[in-house]
Amino acid sequence: MTETLSSAAAPSSQSEAPLLEIRDAAVALKSGNRTMVSGVSLSVMPREVFGIVGESGSGKTLLTRTLLGLQDDAYVAAGSVRFDGRDIPAQGYAASARKLLGHSIGFVPQDPFSSLNPSMKIGKQITEAIHLAKGWPMGAEKTREAAIRLIGEVGIPEPALAFDQYPDQFSGGMRQRIVFAIALSQDPKLLVADEPTTALDAITQRRVIELILDRSRSHGLAVILISHNLELLRQSVGRIAVLYGGQLHTIVDAGDIGTRTVHPYAEALFACIPTREKELADIRSIPGEPVGAGFGLTGCAFSTRCAYAEPVCRSAPLPLNERLAPRFSACILGRGA
Amino acid sequence: MAETPLPMVELQGVSKSFARRLFVQNRSFALRGIDITIGRGEVVGILGESGSGKSTVANIVTCLTGYDGGIYRFKGRDIASFTRRERFAFKSDVQIVFQDPYGSLNPRATVRASVMESLLLHRRDLDKAGRMERADLLLEEVGIPASAGDRYPHEFSGGQRQRIAIARAIAVEPELLVCDEPLSSLDVSIQAQILELFVRMIRERALTIVFISHDVNVVRLICDRVYVMNQGAVVESGPARDVLSNPKNEYTARLLDAVY
Repeated sequence: MTETLSSAAAPSSQSEAPLLEIRDAAVALKSGNRTMVSGVSLSVMPREVFGIVGESGSGKTLLTRTLLGLQDDAYVAAGSVRFDGRDIPAQGYAASARKLLGHSIGFVPQDPFSSLNPSMKIGKQITEAIHLAKGWPMGAEKTREAAIRLIGEVGIPEPALAFDQYPDQFSGGMRQRIVFAIALSQDPKLLVADEPTTALDAITQRRVIELILDRSRSHGLAVILISHNLELLRQSVGRIAVLYGGQLHTIVDAGDIGTRTVHPYAEALFACIPTREKELADIRSIPGEPVGAGFGLTGCAFSTRCAYAEPVCRSAPLPLNERLAPRFSACILGRGA
Repeated sequence: MAETPLPMVELQGVSKSFARRLFVQNRSFALRGIDITIGRGEVVGILGESGSGKSTVANIVTCLTGYDGGIYRFKGRDIASFTRRERFAFKSDVQIVFQDPYGSLNPRATVRASVMESLLLHRRDLDKAGRMERADLLLEEVGIPASAGDRYPHEFSGGQRQRIAIARAIAVEPELLVCDEPLSSLDVSIQAQILELFVRMIRERALTIVFISHDVNVVRLICDRVYVMNQGAVVESGPARDVLSNPKNEYTARLLDAVY
């Protein structure tokens, strides 16, 4: 499965324009102007399934939410974002990004228990999203039909019945499907899912991830899947961007992790995880503690824990992915490049 | 591991319900009559998803909660007929490490004091200097420098706090250590560190461990035997490697298929 996915998800031809281009993006907090994430450059192709991995405090959620215009206490401090051939203006960035979120970009947040309105029926929440996306009026009956079709498409049994139910009548996995249906109601080109399955059981988690991947395949939907679970991403996406301490350290083919020399942090992070294939001897922890985003050092944030680190790693500026290369290693020593 | 004739823990048909008292049909069973045996020196995994009842097992084994039916024998003695003296001894024989290292340490005590506290009760032979020395030794053993013993829990990271909780648990040399999801609230790279600490302790200290977890791969790697739980019942048990590579039960198979 991994093989077919990676080939399908990899950029198909050089001529096709990326759906999303992020150039040298930095995110800072509004209070104190502290830079939390910096130097992130990457591109996502149409129909691609792209992963972002990072431990807690790596800045993955802050970066994503700020770029989508959802984070009230942070702003895009530098860099540019281009979506579907158009730059998102730096002036009034958050408002422009949120407009896209209502039309071309769907978002599935982490917690299915707090992202739905508990006092509003499922059907109403979906029809409201359809109205917002496709304009008012579309006709009540037609909207209802569209909503019921969507509820069915995300795999909720008896869609017509579910239409008139409240969120608390559904399990976590079913609620996440409802959130997914709302995200799909605008027929987006890009779906951003931030830890969509962290709160869910293993069996439910697998189903929700497969649902997202199926939709991507059948509708040509590009997906950015954000997770702390490198093994989940390795099995689900084509390329993975690895964040650590608010820096972009590498963009790597999922299939190369565990099989080839990759960036030292990607390598070390994978060595931490017990997977199906591993024995106890294959698991190696990373010494020390993770540094959080906004660590305020120069050089490579991982250099304090890296097995390969040399003095230069702490002082040299971290290389940037200026040309938006599909594969990239920011290792100062050139490992995994 | 060699089995002694008398198992450390024997749960026979133990059940527990959180009842809405009057209406029997409204009873939600946390456990529906489970049998679990833990031999001396074994590392036994209890594997299950949230709501499977695995944490209830941890709480019953450590006597943090009662049970409604069945028998719990500890080292051959029914705990319901424990004398006061036995009940006191049980508290040092059985120790627990919780999931949340932020909630399980007293925020107003230095970490050395936290480790020393249980020694005060259960190691009456030690004087203050002896307790202090032993606490520092234990902290060093789990990877916390003794010089940090005067600090308070909030000055440590989650992984370090979990190390301190482990030091406190093994301070009284328990015969049984119950670990309730000890890795789950930690970052990926820190999980591996604590996992390595467990592996080292298992090798060096001949502990009997009940390892409660939802992580199939961790249980497969460190446990001798496993009980797989679903909806308050044990659905499959056996040697961890066999069960988790060749499941006989339909639920276990589905769980293994789903795990990344």
